[in-house]
This record gives sequence, C-alpha cells and structure tokens, in this order.
Amino acid sequence: MEPVNLFDLASKQSQWLSVRQSAVAGNIANANTPGYVATDVEPFEKLLDRTIVHMSATQSGHLGGGAAEAAYAVKPQESTGPAMPSKNTVVLENELMKAGEIRRSFELNTAIVKAFHAMMMSAVKG
Amino acid sequence: MDALTSALKVAASGLGAQSERLRVVSENLANAQSTGTAPGAEPYRRKTISFVAELDRATGGAMVEVNSIDRDPSAYPVEFQPGNEAADENGYVKMPNVNVLVEMADMNEANRSYQANLQVVKQARDLISMTIDLMRNQ
Amino acid sequence: MISGIGALGLKPSFDSSGGSADLLPGGAAAPSGSAPATFAEAVSQAAARTVDTLETAEKMSIQALTGGADTRQVADAVMDAQQALQTTIAIRDKIVSAYLDISRMNI
Repeated sequence: MEPVNLFDLASKQSQWLSVRQSAVAGNIANANTPGYVATDVEPFEKLLDRTIVHMSATQSGHLGGGAAEAAYAVKPQESTGPAMPSKNTVVLENELMKAGEIRRSFELNTAIVKAFHAMMMSAVKG
Repeated sequence: MDALTSALKVAASGLGAQSERLRVVSENLANAQSTGTAPGAEPYRRKTISFVAELDRATGGAMVEVNSIDRDPSAYPVEFQPGNEAADENGYVKMPNVNVLVEMADMNEANRSYQANLQVVKQARDLISMTIDLMRNQ
Repeated sequence: MISGIGALGLKPSFDSSGGSADLLPGGAAAPSGSAPATFAEAVSQAAARTVDTLETAEKMSIQALTGGADTRQVADAVMDAQQALQTTIAIRDKIVSAYLDISRMNI
C-alpha cells in the first residue's frame, strides 16, 4: 500500500462522518414514519483498504467529485429490539448516541487537521 | 449539495412534521369537550396525523412529510347530560372521541422528537462551522 | 506520513532512470511528467504545481460563493494553497538571497 497522506485520510473520514450524520438525521426525522427502516453507513475501516488506493489514482485536479466518488454506502441497519407494529425500526436513543460519536470524531478530525496545517506553515516560515 | 447541508434540511423537515403533529394534538385537546349544537348532532371528531418519508435522490437524505390529516373513525362516547343543547330525547349527548391522556402522551412524544430533531440541526450547523474554521486564523 | 516538502511534494530523484512517486496531496500532476533532472527543473515544476494548487483553490472558492460546493473540499483546497504558497515563498526567498550572496562575492 502506498504511504498514506494525513490530510487525504482526514478528508475521507470527514466525508464519511458527514454521510453518517445525514443518515442519522434521516432516522431521527422519520422516527414516527410507519414502515421506515433505519439506515447507517458501512464502518470506516471497511472503506479504507478499498478507497485509499482508488483515491490516489484519480485525485489529479478533481473538483467537486468527492461525494460521488466516495459513494459511501448507506444501507439499512439490522434492527435490534422488539418490532414495532408500525414496522418502524428507529430507536431514538441509539440515534442520539451515534450523533454524539459523530460530533466527537468530527471535532478530533478538524483539530488534527488544524494542528498539522499550523505545523506545516510554521515549518516553512522558518 | 454536501451531506451536512442535507442533514440540516432533513432535520428541518423533521421539525416541521413534529410541529404539525403538535398542532393536531392541541386542536384535539382544545376541542375535547366540543359537542354539537343541535339535539343529536355530531360532536368534534378527533384528528390524526400520519407521516411519510421523502427520499431525496440528489442528496440521499430521507426527509419526512405529512402524509395526511385524517379523522379518527372510532365511535363517540355518550354521556348523560339532559340539560345540554345537544342532548337527544333520552338526555344523552355524544361527546368527542378525544382521550385527554392519549393526547398528552402524544404531546410528550412529539416534544421529544422535536428536541431530537433540533439537536441534529444544531449539530449539523456546528460541524459545518468547524469545517469553515479550518481555513481561519493564520 | 507527510512526505515531500509541504504541498509541493518536492522529491528530487538522484538517478535519471527512476520516476519519482507522485506524493502530492491533491494538486495537479507534474507538468513535464518526468522526474526532474536538474535543480532548475525541480524548482520550475514545483512553481507550476503551486500555480495549479492556487488555481484549484480559486475555482473551488468561486464555486462555493456562487453555486455551492462541498465545504470540506473548499477548506482542503484553500489549506493546500496556503501551504504551497508559503513553501514557494520560502524557497523564492532563499534563492534570491543566495543569488545576492553570490553577486556580492569578490572575484
């Protein structure tokens, strides 16, 4: 595997987190919709091996193609717990927990990027 | 449109839907005692609301919409109130088929969902803000 | 790991046969496409990459202002441009001061 670029990896994780946030938002908004099945994204680790090599091959000069390229799969998640008569599988508490996880990971992500960017800048300013 | 903005829109649609639900509950509660005005007339019939998911192909977001506001078809309870202007020849009045306890429970649920959607709105907005912040202060 | 010098991905190749791996975090490919053979070539390739990076950042910013682009991509492009520009400025300053030093040497 090629050496991994930190900023690229952070970008990918940020994209994954955003897609997950969108899935969680959809679940919470449809918590009372009859027949709605809760969705979630694939775990980030699963995507790493596939997409890193893919991304470095097609990166050059690509504008705005991030979302389409990455295509993080949003698929129905297995429902845990008792089945509701309305066939709705959203558990609000779990969704709120996921939202908390997303927030923490996102804060860490941007903090890391900010720190390394500042380090690069001060290194070249000399 | 990026995923965070889509999340914002989806959560906003959730706020709207739960607001509608709250409005229906408040109408039911306000009219829990609204009988008819003529003898044997129909009283207020309880309203119900149903939602449907609107999948946005472009953004991949699952917004929620009000599907319909219907009337609860269950039977009217009857009370003995001979003095009431809506009393029939035996003194019985048909009362609205609104159960206050059910409506209060629904109101709590609607509040809870509303708060959860609001949290998503705030979080999505904060995450976008953090991303923009990356470019700042050199 | 962070390779190369900042966003320019400067990696001089010491043998003329091997091609240097493109270590750029997201800028355009090297204009000549081959490994730089001389220092002058390396510098001119790096300068070209900087210009490309800046142009990309500008395009993304315009998209963000008018149509609406992905926020993170705009932030990434702008940060890349900041790094690339800063590196190029530092290199330029060094080259200029080296030239001035040489010009002041007594023959």
